[in-house]
Amino acid sequence: MVTIVIDGRKVKAKENSTILENTQELNIDIPTLCFHNDLSSFGACRLCMVEVNTNGKWQLATSCNTPVEDGMEIRTDSDRVQESRKLTAELLYYKYPTTEAVREVARKLGVQTPEEKGEGHDCILCGLCVRTCREIVGVSALTFQDRGRGRDIDEPKIEFDPNSCIGCGSCAYVCPTGYVQMESVGDKRIIWNKVFNMVACKVCGRFFAPEDQLKYISKETNVPFDKLTTCTNCR
Amino acid sequence: MDNVIFSSWNGKIVDNRKGKTSKAPKRADITLPKLPEEEKPLALMGWNGLVVMNPEADIVSLTLRYLKEIRKLSCGECSVCMIGIDRLLDIIGEMAKGEGSKADIAEMKAIIKQVCVNSKCGFGQSALFPVLDSIKFYKSDFLALIKGEKKLEDKDYSCTVTAPCMEACPARLDIPGYIELIKNNKFKESLDLIRENCILPGVVGRVCTHPCEDACVRKDIDEPVSIRLLKRAAADDDLQHGGSSLNGPQKEREERIAIIGAGPAGLAAAYNLRLMRYGVTIFESLPHVGGMAAVGIPEYRLPRDILNHEIDLIKRIGSELKVNTKVEKLSLKDLKKKGYNAVFVAVGAHIGTKIGAEGEDKGYEGFVDGVEFLRNLNLGEKVKPQKKVIVIGGGNTALDCARSCVRIGFNDVEIIYRRSRVEMPASDEEIEEAEKEGVKFNYLMTPVKILAKDGKVTGVECIKMKLGKPDESGRRRPVPIKGSEFTIDTDLIIPAIGQRSELPVIPDKEKIEITKWGTIKVDPITYMTDVEGVFAGGDCVTGPAIVIDALNTGNKVAKSIDCYLQGGSLARGITFEGVDLKKQMGRGFTVKAPAQGVGFLDVKERAGSFEEVEGGYISMEAMSEAQRCLRCYRVVVWEKAI
Ligand SMILES: Cc1cc2nc3c(=O)[nH]c(=O)nc-3n(C[C@H](O)[C@H](O)[C@H](O)COP(=O)(O)OP(=O)(O)OC[C@H]3O[C@@H](n4cnc5c(N)ncnc54)[C@H](O)[C@@H]3O)c2cc1C
Ligand code: SF4
Ligand code: FES
Repeated sequence: MVTIVIDGRKVKAKENSTILENTQELNIDIPTLCFHNDLSSFGACRLCMVEVNTNGKWQLATSCNTPVEDGMEIRTDSDRVQESRKLTAELLYYKYPTTEAVREVARKLGVQTPEEKGEGHDCILCGLCVRTCREIVGVSALTFQDRGRGRDIDEPKIEFDPNSCIGCGSCAYVCPTGYVQMESVGDKRIIWNKVFNMVACKVCGRFFAPEDQLKYISKETNVPFDKLTTCTNCR
Repeated sequence: MDNVIFSSWNGKIVDNRKGKTSKAPKRADITLPKLPEEEKPLALMGWNGLVVMNPEADIVSLTLRYLKEIRKLSCGECSVCMIGIDRLLDIIGEMAKGEGSKADIAEMKAIIKQVCVNSKCGFGQSALFPVLDSIKFYKSDFLALIKGEKKLEDKDYSCTVTAPCMEACPARLDIPGYIELIKNNKFKESLDLIRENCILPGVVGRVCTHPCEDACVRKDIDEPVSIRLLKRAAADDDLQHGGSSLNGPQKEREERIAIIGAGPAGLAAAYNLRLMRYGVTIFESLPHVGGMAAVGIPEYRLPRDILNHEIDLIKRIGSELKVNTKVEKLSLKDLKKKGYNAVFVAVGAHIGTKIGAEGEDKGYEGFVDGVEFLRNLNLGEKVKPQKKVIVIGGGNTALDCARSCVRIGFNDVEIIYRRSRVEMPASDEEIEEAEKEGVKFNYLMTPVKILAKDGKVTGVECIKMKLGKPDESGRRRPVPIKGSEFTIDTDLIIPAIGQRSELPVIPDKEKIEITKWGTIKVDPITYMTDVEGVFAGGDCVTGPAIVIDALNTGNKVAKSIDCYLQGGSLARGITFEGVDLKKQMGRGFTVKAPAQGVGFLDVKERAGSFEEVEGGYISMEAMSEAQRCLRCYRVVVWEKAI
C-alpha cells in the first residue's frame, strides 16, 4: 500500500493501481470515454485528465493509465483540469457533432450543444472494440489503422479482419456510439458486414450463437462442438 | 543560411525585420537544420520553430502546408492532436474565404496550447509549437488574410520527416513507424517497412549495436525503447508464419552490374539493383555468403538459419552468385569486356591488424589472428580445446573470440586490454555476458613478445600500462610502465585489435585512390571511386563498422549506380548535423514504464554449445513494448525558390 493525496485528502492506495481506480473508490466523478474496468487502459480520449504533482510541478496526466506513487499529490477538479477537459470535449464535439455519446460528455463539461439526442453513430477511435476483441475474446480481428510516414491514409479507422472474426458481437456491445452495429435476422447475423450462420439450440430451437463462435470455443476448450449446441437457458 | 531574418528555433527569438530590434543571440548558437542550398530556401517550419531567410517568404501559406504535412502523421489515436489540426486547417480555410475574424487567432492559440499539453504522444506534444510562433510573430499576415488582402498560395515546398532514433540509425529506418505497426499487431506490415531500408531484418534485429536506442527520447525518462528487439520480433513473427518472400522484378534491363563481395553491403546493393531490374552477378571468394555476418559474428549471437533464410530470399529474386570465386584483379576494362556496365567493390576488411609484438610474424603454432580464428571456426574447422587462451583486444571481435573459446571448451579464457574498462569499445552487454561465462579481463597491459618453444606458443611477455593524456579518439592514451614486464603461460594467443582490407590488385592505369588506412576513397554522396563506373562501399571504405552501415551503403550505391547508368543525380536533402533532435518545446507527462525484458540461455548451458544466447519477444510482449514508443516524429517543411 502507498499513501497518496487526492484533492487534499490523504488516502491509502494499492501499489500500481491507477489514479482513476482510486478516484472511483472515493466516488469522484471523472469523465471517460475510452475506459472500461475490464480492459487495459489506453489513454486515448484525454477526458480523464487530472493534475499530478511531480517534483513540485503540477502537470496534467490521464488518470486512467497513470499509476500512483507513494506521496503522489493529485487534483481532480482544478481550473486547469476543468479547462482541459472542456477543450477536449469541444474538439470531440467539433469532429463528431451528431454522436450522442460525445454530445453527452460535452454537455456535462459545459460545451454548448443542442438539447436533443444526436442521431449520428461516428467511430470516435476510442479503441474499446479493439481491446475487447484482443483481450476478452482473444481473436484480434480488429486493429487500428494508424497513419505514419508514407502511409497514405486520409481518415484513420478501425480495420476488420473477416478471417479472424467469430461473430460474437462483443465489440458491438462495448461500442459507446453505436458505430459497430450488429443485426440478427433469422438464422443469420451480420456484423462488420460479415454474415454469420447462427446455430439453433438443440432444445428450444432458438438461434443463439454464430457457428464460428462455437467452433472457436470448441477449439479453445477442447469441448466437442456437439456439446456446445445447447443455449444457456436450456443447459 | 547566413541571412536569417527571423528565427524562433529552440525558443530563441532572433528578429531582424525592419523596425524590430532583436535581442539577438549570436547566430552561432543556433544550429538549424541544414537545407539544400541549391533549392534557395526562403523559410522553414519545423517542430522546434519557424525560421525565415527571405522577406519574400509566405508564412501563412507555409503554415498551412506544414499543418497539412503534420496531419498525415497524426495517428488519430487520441482525441486532441488530429482533431486539433483539423480545426486549425478549417479555421485558416475560413479566413481565406473571408469568413474569419480576429477572434479566430485567439482560438487557434488556445487549441495549439491544448493539443501540446494534452496529446498522448511526443508528436502531438511538439508538432504544433511552430504554428504558435507564426501566428504570434506573423500575426499581421494572418490579419491580412482575414481582411482579404492576402491569398493562400500553394508555393513550392519540400518536406522531411525524421525522429531522434531515425536520425541516429545509419539506414534511417522509419523506427516509430515500424514500432507503431507492431503495436497494432501488424507484424508483416512492420517487416515490410523495415525491409525498405534493411534487407537483413532478422540479422540486424539480433546483432545491431543500436545507436538508435542511445538516441531514444525515452532514455532520459526511464529506459530506451527496445528498438532492436522489436525489429527482431517482426522478423521472427514472419518466420513463425512460414516466412514471406520478397517481390522480384518483372522485366529485365540490359545492363549488368558486377559486385565483388557477398557481405551485407554487396547483398543490399544486389537486392536493390534487382528491384531496379538490373542483371547482377556477385563474386565471393569464400564458400559462404554473408561476409562478416557469416564468417565473423559467432553463431550463438546469430543463428545461421536466420542468416541463411534472409540470404536465400535475396538469392531467389535472381542474383547470380559465384562463390569460391576470388576477384584477384580489379579492372573495369576487363569487366566491361565481360559485359558489365558498372562494378561495386564491397570486399570488407578481413585481415587482422598487427599488434606490434616481437615474434608475431614467425608463424608459430598457437598464434592465430582473431578474424581468421572466427572465420575458420565458422567454415567448420574443429578447434581442439586446450587449457588456456589469451585474447588481445577490447572490441567486440575480441569478445566474440573469447566467448567462442568458452564454448569450444577452453578452461581458462583471458582477455588482455591495454586501457581500462572505461575505454573498452565492446558493448556493456557483451562484457557482462562474457563475465558471466567466466571470461577473465585484465586491463592496462599489452603484449611485447610472443614466447614459443619448437615453433609452438608457450606464453606471452606483457608490459603494464598506465593512462596518459587523451588521444585523437578522446580516450586516454596508454603508456608503458618501464620495467614492468612479466610473462603469462598460455597455449593459444588470439590477437583481435582491428581489421583492414585486402583489396584486389588494381591495374596502374585505373587509378583508384587508396587512403593511408588502406581503405578505398569514394565520393561521399555517390560512392563512386576516382574511376568512373567503379563504386565502393562497406567496411572496405569506412574501415570496420556495423552491418546496418554496410546495408545502408548497399542501398545507396544501388541508387547511385542507377543514376550513373540512366543519367540523373542524387538529391542531397536536408541534414540535421548538430541539431538536438531530442529537444522538443513541450513535453507532457509520461508514465514511467520499464522496458520489456527477454530471457537468456542459462549460463551453465553455454559451454560446449553455440546455441543462441538471447531470447526474443513473443508477439504480446512485442506489442506491449511497442506501446512505450513516444512517436517522436519531427516534421520540417520549407518553402523554396526552385
Ligand atoms: C567478429 C566480428 C563481429 C561483428 N559483430 C557485429 C555485430 O555484432 N553487429 C554489427 O552490426 N556488426 C558486427 N560486425 C561488423 C559487420 O559484420 C561488418 O561491418 C559488415 O559485415 C560489413 O559488411 P561488408 O559488406 O562491408 O563486408 P563483409 O561483411 O566483410 O563482406 C565482404 C565480402 O567480400 C568477400 N571478398 C573479399 N575480397 C574478395 C575478393 N577479392 N573477391 C571476392 N570476394 C571477396 C569476403 O569474403 C566477404 O564475404 C562484426 C564484425 C566482426 C569481424
Ligand atoms: S520514443 Fe519512439 S520515436 Fe521517440 S526516440 Fe524512442 S523509439 Fe524513437
Ligand atoms: S479515459 Fe483516460 S484517456 Fe480516455
